[in-house]
Amino acid sequence: MERSPEIALCLVCHNIDCKSRGSIEVGEAIAARLAAAGSTVEVKPYICFGACTEGPNLVLYPQGTWYSGVQPSDVPEIANHILGGSPVDRLSEGVDPDLRELILEILDSLGDL
Amino acid sequence: MEPILLTRPGSADPQPLADYQGEGGYEALSAAVKRLPEHLLSTIERSGLRGRGGAGFPVGQKWRLAASEAETQKYVVANGGEDEPGSAKDRVLMESYPHRVLEGVILAAYAIGAHEAVLYVNSLYDHATAMLDRAITEASAAGFLGARVAGSAFNLAVRIQSAPQEYVAGEDSAVLEVIEGGPPLPREKPPFPTSAGLHGKPTVVNNIETFAFIPTIVRRGPDWFRGQGTADNPGTMLFTLPSNVRSPGVVELPIGISLRVLIEDYGGGLASGKAIKAVLPGGPSSAFIGGTDLDVAMDRQPLAALGSALGCGILRIIEAGECLVEVVDGIAHFFQKESCGQCPICQMETQALARITAQVRDGQGSQQMLDQIPKLGAFARGKGFCGLISMPIPPLTSAIRLFPEDFAYHIEHGHCPASEG
Repeated sequence: MERSPEIALCLVCHNIDCKSRGSIEVGEAIAARLAAAGSTVEVKPYICFGACTEGPNLVLYPQGTWYSGVQPSDVPEIANHILGGSPVDRLSEGVDPDLRELILEILDSLGDL
Repeated sequence: MEPILLTRPGSADPQPLADYQGEGGYEALSAAVKRLPEHLLSTIERSGLRGRGGAGFPVGQKWRLAASEAETQKYVVANGGEDEPGSAKDRVLMESYPHRVLEGVILAAYAIGAHEAVLYVNSLYDHATAMLDRAITEASAAGFLGARVAGSAFNLAVRIQSAPQEYVAGEDSAVLEVIEGGPPLPREKPPFPTSAGLHGKPTVVNNIETFAFIPTIVRRGPDWFRGQGTADNPGTMLFTLPSNVRSPGVVELPIGISLRVLIEDYGGGLASGKAIKAVLPGGPSSAFIGGTDLDVAMDRQPLAALGSALGCGILRIIEAGECLVEVVDGIAHFFQKESCGQCPICQMETQALARITAQVRDGQGSQQMLDQIPKLGAFARGKGFCGLISMPIPPLTSAIRLFPEDFAYHIEHGHCPASEG
């Protein structure tokens, strides 16, 4: 399905595995960069994307970009993508396409995230 | 009908050894150890007995798998974790019929060639633990346990292991983890416990109720056992009637009895006098049976034909006026809480289901959201170490199919039809 190119939310998994790998800190660092740039994109917690062993995971919604294994060193590039720059393709390589499709459909159905 | 397990109706006292022997107790063991284990294995296979822990796997087949392993060290584990919400049947057996359970365990050990057995007992069951402990002492003193069981060359040690209060702690391989001193986490399968179980050795894990059938089957023969129940699923079974019937509690009845007869004749019907809206016939992972299907036979195949399951015979009855949305929201949150966290897709699925049911419950849901439930179930199937990953789907999808009006009302109003005004 064709998805909107828009990014309104950066959903960061806060479940046990992703959290233990530093997802909260990554989310806070992204939020700080977005705030400094005056962006209206919100960084919000979500539980869970089902890719725990590849975490920390985050999904840019509604665009549907899924980043896994995100490290603090990746934050500048991710923030740059959210602010209109290029996607960070290397962080999307390990994502199971079937799982991504299911998760995006669930996110679409949930509406209010 | 002739009871096989609950032979002392009205008495909750533990059956003393002498009383059990008066019923023919330990005769099966004394006879069995004079013959080759093959005879015992063949008897259990021919009886058609299925496990009473929920999955209904043929007991003889499971024993045969463990018996045929070349290892010399083998184990038998009696699963009395009983964490299924509402279940009390294993407790009744352990408290009131401890020797029946114990003799079944000893026979299983002889059949597969095990010399150690573990009774895995819910940690809240202090009385059951004490009664089993006493039975072990009495049986040992009488020569039915320890060295030279019933005068034979066979020896067996039995001990009790306390079971944690978690749903997955009753899953076969999680039971083994606990006995080995670890947390109650299911193992990836294969290998199955019959080939690599406790300490990596062949192990038979059966439910307490399953073991309790064994002595009488051996003493009276497989053909006698097949005289009750159905061809596919012979014998009787313990059913647990819920607190909203006039006579709640555990009853023993032939497999195949109608759900309506079970509730009306043996449970006395609903105490409120209301009509039955739906029934979960086999615990929280079975599918709801609608009020128009109450004549279904309580057996695997007829219930499967309605998309449901026999499980361990724990009934939950939903009364007219109750809202299914709140019921399934409780079930979804139960499985979310009980998912052990080992398997990513199970975590995602159970979290997503609980979020969907909560949003529908609170009026923030949609039909599109409900449509995700079967898709989640299809995606998740087989992607977990244990069966929990598939358990929330049947109750949720059946409730939505049978009572769409309850869900539509919640989506629109954010509360139950019954709570209006």
